[in-house]
Amino acid sequence: MKEPVLLEVRNLKVYFRNDEGLELRAVDGVSFTVPPGKTVALVGESGCGKSVTALAILRLVEANGRIAGGEVLFEGKNLLALSEREMQRVRGKEIAIIFQEPSAALNPVYTVGEQIVEAILLHQSVSREKARALAEEMLHLVGIPEPRKRLNEYPHELSGGMKQRAMIAMALSCRPKLLIADEPTTSLDVTIQAQILELLRELQRQIGMAILLITHDLGIVADMADEVVVMYAGKVVERGTKYDIFKRCRHPYTLGLLRSVPRLDVDENALASIPGFVPDPLHFPEGCRFRGRCFLEDETCATEPPEVALGDGHVVYCHHAALSEVCHGER
Amino acid sequence: MREETRKALRRLFSNASGVLGVVLLGLFVIVALFAPLLAPPKPGRDPYFMPVVTWSADPLPPSREHPFGVAGKRDIFYGVVWGTRTAFRIGILVTLASTAIGLFVGSLAGYFGRILDEILMRVTDVFMAIPFLVAAMVLTTVLGTGLDKVMIALIVFSWMYPARLIRGNILQVKEEQFILAAKSLGVSDTLIILRHVLPNAIFPVLIQASMRMGSLVITAAALSFLGLGAPQGYADWGALLNYARNWMLGGYGATFKYWYMIAFPGGAMVLFVLAWNLLGDALRDAFDPRLRW
Amino acid sequence: MLEPHGDCGPHGAWFALMIFYILRRLLFLPLTLFGISLLIFLMIGFLGPYQRLATFINSPERLKGADVDKLVELYGLNDPLIIQYGRWLKNVLRGNLGWSYVGKEPVLSAILKRFPYTLELTLFAAIPIIFLGTSLGVLAALNHNKPLDHGLRIFAVVGWSFPDFVFGLFVLMIFYGTLGWFPPGNLSVWAEEIVKSPHFRNFTGMLTLDALLNGRFDVFLDALRHLAGPVLTLTYVEFAFLLRITRSSMLEVLRKEYVRTARAKGLDERVVIHKHAKRNALIPVATVSGQTVIGLLAGTVIVETIFNRTGLGSFIALASQQLDYASIMGGSLFFGLILVIGNLCVDLSYALIDPRVRLE
Repeated sequence: MKEPVLLEVRNLKVYFRNDEGLELRAVDGVSFTVPPGKTVALVGESGCGKSVTALAILRLVEANGRIAGGEVLFEGKNLLALSEREMQRVRGKEIAIIFQEPSAALNPVYTVGEQIVEAILLHQSVSREKARALAEEMLHLVGIPEPRKRLNEYPHELSGGMKQRAMIAMALSCRPKLLIADEPTTSLDVTIQAQILELLRELQRQIGMAILLITHDLGIVADMADEVVVMYAGKVVERGTKYDIFKRCRHPYTLGLLRSVPRLDVDENALASIPGFVPDPLHFPEGCRFRGRCFLEDETCATEPPEVALGDGHVVYCHHAALSEVCHGER
Repeated sequence: MREETRKALRRLFSNASGVLGVVLLGLFVIVALFAPLLAPPKPGRDPYFMPVVTWSADPLPPSREHPFGVAGKRDIFYGVVWGTRTAFRIGILVTLASTAIGLFVGSLAGYFGRILDEILMRVTDVFMAIPFLVAAMVLTTVLGTGLDKVMIALIVFSWMYPARLIRGNILQVKEEQFILAAKSLGVSDTLIILRHVLPNAIFPVLIQASMRMGSLVITAAALSFLGLGAPQGYADWGALLNYARNWMLGGYGATFKYWYMIAFPGGAMVLFVLAWNLLGDALRDAFDPRLRW
Repeated sequence: MLEPHGDCGPHGAWFALMIFYILRRLLFLPLTLFGISLLIFLMIGFLGPYQRLATFINSPERLKGADVDKLVELYGLNDPLIIQYGRWLKNVLRGNLGWSYVGKEPVLSAILKRFPYTLELTLFAAIPIIFLGTSLGVLAALNHNKPLDHGLRIFAVVGWSFPDFVFGLFVLMIFYGTLGWFPPGNLSVWAEEIVKSPHFRNFTGMLTLDALLNGRFDVFLDALRHLAGPVLTLTYVEFAFLLRITRSSMLEVLRKEYVRTARAKGLDERVVIHKHAKRNALIPVATVSGQTVIGLLAGTVIVETIFNRTGLGSFIALASQQLDYASIMGGSLFFGLILVIGNLCVDLSYALIDPRVRLE
């Protein structure tokens, strides 16, 4: 079955060089797809490379990092092959991004309105007055009260939730086809989190953009995602529909991740965390990177795990996929 | 040695400019130590006073007898060599004394806080309000010429910088858990300052002292250059440069032939200050990599 | 102190804090000035009564034929210091700073006559210092760890290590002694005659400005030529600090998330740097620039002396050399006053530039 694809990331590699000149393979051969209008969640612990993947899609990796290989196909064209100027026409217009910390992501010396208007003027041929009207409309759309007044305010005059709404308004002002949301609610209060997520869902319905949602919070994934990509130590370990991941997951890491979420309906004793620590990117183990923490580990794990397709897009990278019917039962 | 310290020292010695600073300083130390061999003084005379070598006031260009030339009837080479000792003496003594005073005042202000802090900080404001050079000039004119007077003046107007640094550090450290823990165990204030606060502040103080060394030596030399510091004929780079001043103002067309009057004492000064600045820079980079350059 | 901060709550509270901060600073201003006067007086207090007599006499006529012991008695120079301080302060507040031997006029008028020259030199030096310091600092940051960055570092640290009198002597030797371009002094003799003539009106006391206002372009150029040497010296010796601050501030801002946001919008790298990064990076630089310019005033002591210029700096240097205590006291008091007020203005204006400033 061939479904339509908006974004396809193929074998993406992003390497960094640290102060001592050693190479860190922060993202090492990541592949996944995002269908139009759907929400795909990229899940993993902090430091697993999910945010770097997001930045690499827009080619905004920091100066000490480089995209070492792979393809990022957006509507069939490889973004990594575009000139910088062509890439600038994709950023903000076709693909927009919002970040974790809205107070850091807005420029403190320009008003909110100025920053939204700038994005509109850049990608749409409208007058400044029209752009201002559009910006006001966007602020209204994201549920900011008194949008006209807010246009003239500086970021520090808004609350955290309002700032994230303003960021969303800015990101969506040019109606992008894909919104990358990098931990959009992590820094916000729980009640505000729910509002922002609801807002994203509502806007997705109105505008029809796809969302690549980057998060470590499985609650948000369950709430928002259509499809899920699980990353560990710079690699994808498993991907599939939300149902595949939550109900039929096959990778021991995914299982550990699911089990580490406290649940009211399960006996407290079942709450387990994964033993050991996320490895230092300088010393990733050879072969399967989950080695050393995995309860299924044996000598075969010293080689690169195979890609095992389980049908309907559910894919797991594990030597023991055949015997790891691990997720059934208690979940 | 703590792991952090070791790492920082390794960073220091892997830093090319830091190494250059250390090497330059080493050379100056050698010159200062071997001054009696490099430029033997006349027996029975104070070696810190440059002997008069000619009767004419005209400067003489470098020759075999006087490798750096002659200025103000005195041998420039002799002055540069013995001036190295003067520079070290001023730099080190003033830095030590002002740092000690600063540590004391800063600890008082930072640790006891409140009114005492407010008063002491307003006092530092007053001392910092008058430009360093002007303040030192005023005090030396009152105290009279002489190297000791210069040093006193420099100390009186430079203790505020370490004091402020220490105070800031203490305010920061004071909030930390282990201090609160020590306090709740009934450890005395003095002991807390000595045991916990000062060791944590030692590197910032060292870095600042090294950076300040340059400006201290410059100011001392500036005083001598203005004729306020070292007495007539004292081996001091600033005093040597003072001889050059009138020859440079003496009309144009011919002053370039007096280049050696500036180049040797001036070069020594620049390299000396540069060495301390490079060292201070490298120290700061090593201990606070965020500010690296 | 002022500190930029991301979140400082509602606007009204910020405004109240701002007012409180300004009031506090203004309240401490006279206190600091009082402290400065006390400090200077105490330093001079080391001297014997006869030496201090000069600071009370307003013209040399009064010393002629007078019995010095009587004068010492008259001015109470043997009284306890605290009483003498009170008397001296009262005189100072009345504008009587004593008689200046060096200036051969009352100290206050000597200072006021020379200050415009020093201010002029400072302002002229401020232009290249701020321009070079900030633009090269941004350049270094944009070429982080590349050869240009290292080259600028060496250039800056060497300049920083140059004592102003050493560099000044080199400038004098090369640009005056050898090339004859930048002569010492404030003006050439012919221009001085024009300035002193009754047709030439003194508007500001600053030679370049007055020359332009009088329509004497030749005098203006001559004044510029005399300013070039000292300005060159001050620039090289002082710009390094600003360069460093700009560079590290710019590097810090370039790592900020809002710069990434600007790139993510699809803005051209030029716009990202010049519109979004630079403006933020230059906010702390503005304060440091202000402090640097104020600090330049002190640098004029050496530079004016080397280049034989008339001004407040060379006045104090000369007074110190000739032990003219009235001039020393008055001059240093004036310097302190300018510095304290200048720094206050810089701090307050900082609060106005940065919309996020939080006041402690």
